[in-house]
Amino acid sequence: MKPPDTILGTNLVPAPGAVFSEAEEIAKLKDSLMKRIRRSAYVFRVDCGGCNGCEIEIFAAFSPIFDAERFGIKLVSSPRHADILLYTGSMTRSMRLPAIRSYHAAPDPKIVIGYGACGCTGGIFHDLYCVWGGAESVVPVDVYIPGCPPTPAATIYGFALALGLLEQKLKARHHKEGENEVVIPIRPLIPLRLRVALEREARRMSGYRQGRIVVDRFMSILGHEGANAPFAERMKAYLDEEGDPRLTEIFERLNDIVEGRPSGWTGQSSASSSTS
Amino acid sequence: MNDHVTIRRGQSHLDAIRLQYGAAIEDAEWQTENQVTVTVALASLPEVVETLYYGREGWLATIVANDERQLNGHYALYYILSMEGADRCFFVVRALVPAHKPEFPSVTPRVPAVVWGEREVRDMFGLEPVGLPDQRRLVLPDDWPDDLYPLRKGAMDYRTRPMPAAPAETYTFINEKTKTSTEVPLGPLHITSDEPAHFRLFVDGERIIDADYRLFYVHRGMEKLAETRMSYNEVNFLTDRICGICGFTHSFAYSSAVERALGIDVPERAQFIRSVAGEVERLHSNLLNVGLACHFIGFDSGFMQVFRVREKAMTIAEVLTGARKTYALTLVGGVRRDIHKAERLRILELVAELRRDVADILDILMSTANLEARTRGVGRLDPKIARDFSPSGAVVRGSGFARDTRTMHPYGAYANAPVVVHTEQGCDVLSRVLVRVEDVQNSLDIIEYLIDKMPEGPVLVEGFSYIPQRFAIGNTEAPRGDDIHWVMLGDNQKLYRWRCRAPTYANWPVLRYMFRDNSVADAPLIVASIDPCYSCCDRMTVVDVRKETTTVVPMKELERWGRERKDSPLA
Repeated sequence: MKPPDTILGTNLVPAPGAVFSEAEEIAKLKDSLMKRIRRSAYVFRVDCGGCNGCEIEIFAAFSPIFDAERFGIKLVSSPRHADILLYTGSMTRSMRLPAIRSYHAAPDPKIVIGYGACGCTGGIFHDLYCVWGGAESVVPVDVYIPGCPPTPAATIYGFALALGLLEQKLKARHHKEGENEVVIPIRPLIPLRLRVALEREARRMSGYRQGRIVVDRFMSILGHEGANAPFAERMKAYLDEEGDPRLTEIFERLNDIVEGRPSGWTGQSSASSSTS
Repeated sequence: MNDHVTIRRGQSHLDAIRLQYGAAIEDAEWQTENQVTVTVALASLPEVVETLYYGREGWLATIVANDERQLNGHYALYYILSMEGADRCFFVVRALVPAHKPEFPSVTPRVPAVVWGEREVRDMFGLEPVGLPDQRRLVLPDDWPDDLYPLRKGAMDYRTRPMPAAPAETYTFINEKTKTSTEVPLGPLHITSDEPAHFRLFVDGERIIDADYRLFYVHRGMEKLAETRMSYNEVNFLTDRICGICGFTHSFAYSSAVERALGIDVPERAQFIRSVAGEVERLHSNLLNVGLACHFIGFDSGFMQVFRVREKAMTIAEVLTGARKTYALTLVGGVRRDIHKAERLRILELVAELRRDVADILDILMSTANLEARTRGVGRLDPKIARDFSPSGAVVRGSGFARDTRTMHPYGAYANAPVVVHTEQGCDVLSRVLVRVEDVQNSLDIIEYLIDKMPEGPVLVEGFSYIPQRFAIGNTEAPRGDDIHWVMLGDNQKLYRWRCRAPTYANWPVLRYMFRDNSVADAPLIVASIDPCYSCCDRMTVVDVRKETTTVVPMKELERWGRERKDSPLA
């Protein structure tokens, strides 16, 4: 397979090193752009093959609740008016030429934003037969706004980054193992097999997120050392305090497992054959 | 292989076509209690489909082609009909196309609804519909090589990006009405705003005579992706990304299809949670469409107000799924999130607030004289055209047909939910807006009902195994109409074939009839009334058949003209 640039079959994309490598000049242009658009930036959206999720969240960013226009950011309907080009969606085969044309139509200097998972990298569609990848496969991208789709708040944050209003948050932390460092297993008082059984049941009952919260709570009550009252009483006190019938139901199911009672729900349908 | 099905609906239709076509009906098999697949002789395919469609109140759900050469040496075509009169069911007419002679008699001359499906079958499988008048491509880009068919098994790797075979953008637009071959210069196609689509309006002065359009600029090849790179559960997250607005109903339909094919009993609680999420999505999308209707009639403050209120629906989605969009909620066999006390109370609170806010806004909107003045009688969809093309959702319900897959073929927790299928008789843009408005109110009722009646039990089943070549249909009602998913399971932990049909696919073909005899200024409003994801006629080429001139009008200019009605861009 040939790299994207040669597949394009067009001379619209300059060869690498021809135009876009003039980094200094571009940096200078961008500087002057920043000065010029300090107060107001015009944004033009290019949908190159998205699912509309990004479009709708951009819309929401300009609706009364989030109101990006209060920062002077405004959507315009022609690339000729634009300071910022916002590429959404994975770059499809049919849209590559229009996408390049809109890039050339926007006056220099301009800021290009790759928006959403697809605009940044091609997302879930990155290597498909009608997809070229992210926006960067045909135009040079300055700022990425990731997310699927980015929330309106993330969108406004991305604009602020693009306009130099905010510094990018960059954080890195490296862990060095200490000399006598020991990894303490979580919940050492609960046997591993029981813990796995509880976690699985909690996930089946309440999903990966709430199930996790519930089972953590359950195990911390179960494995609480030095508590005065027996487990059943502590559990009841906690459930009374919460007053959530659904939580009570899940706790009872988990307690059944602790006490060795099989769960009533087999998860097996009469029609489907079982692997276990 | 399907002996687990004990109740068998659709028998009356089968008896009727057996009586009429006798030996042409080869085999019948039930996938679920309301899904039957009947194999017929290829030559009788058009007659059988026509009889079921017009004779027994069948509506087209979709067409599926499948490369079954590895299984039985043939290609297979599945014409899925939703039988909506007596004995409701999905009645699937299957015909085998020999591998050495890849052509089949086109059904389009008898049942126009299948036209897009058959054009797509030709693009993707290279099966030639003999007698299909429209010889143009539908899905694949204009510069795609002629003899490469992406969905044929073994035809190509899913990552292959062939060299352009033709100059890009060579699509011919057809003016059906005058029948004179108007030469339409292909102009600089410059799709740069919103969603890409290219329209040709054939006009006489400012009156639209006919319209044609080229879509599928965003064809990415999802169906190929699902059967090559993804496992069964991963496809749930792919289906979420079919549409940024109604993606959840797609993953709901997909997982239902797999569950039905395998006969999995999904926990009731999971079905309730899925249905709540589905209604939340219908809620925010219907509000969005009402807002767009405000925008296109020049009532922008109404548009902003609707968007303000709609944010509450987005918050419900966030409480329910953790995301405003792309919910990632379903798995095959259940859901990934539960509703506890905190979520339940918050959702009920938001629903109560929404009910108040929506009532206020709709009151203002409905008493705005502009709405009725701009939308009554505009974009008329004749009920006869609707019957011929099987559109769905507000488009068909605005023309008097009570089509709603939630009541036709109940799924999820809808069997007992208080679903009201609202219809209007006006056939115009106003009717479609009113249907949307009623749907918003009804969704709020349904969410409250489902939260209130939420049963106990788990939210997920595990421990089933996948059985190769089982297949079934999944159906859900998205905000714009019904989603239909057809899946066939494979033997390598991947789908053998997955076909998805979004409602807009069924609604596009009627658009040209809705355009006819309207003013060019109303075109954006008419497009918005079918709610094609987001009004995506970003740019129109207007061809004056009398003057034989071509003017290219940018969408925003047309939109502005639609709102202000002065300084015509055509003058």
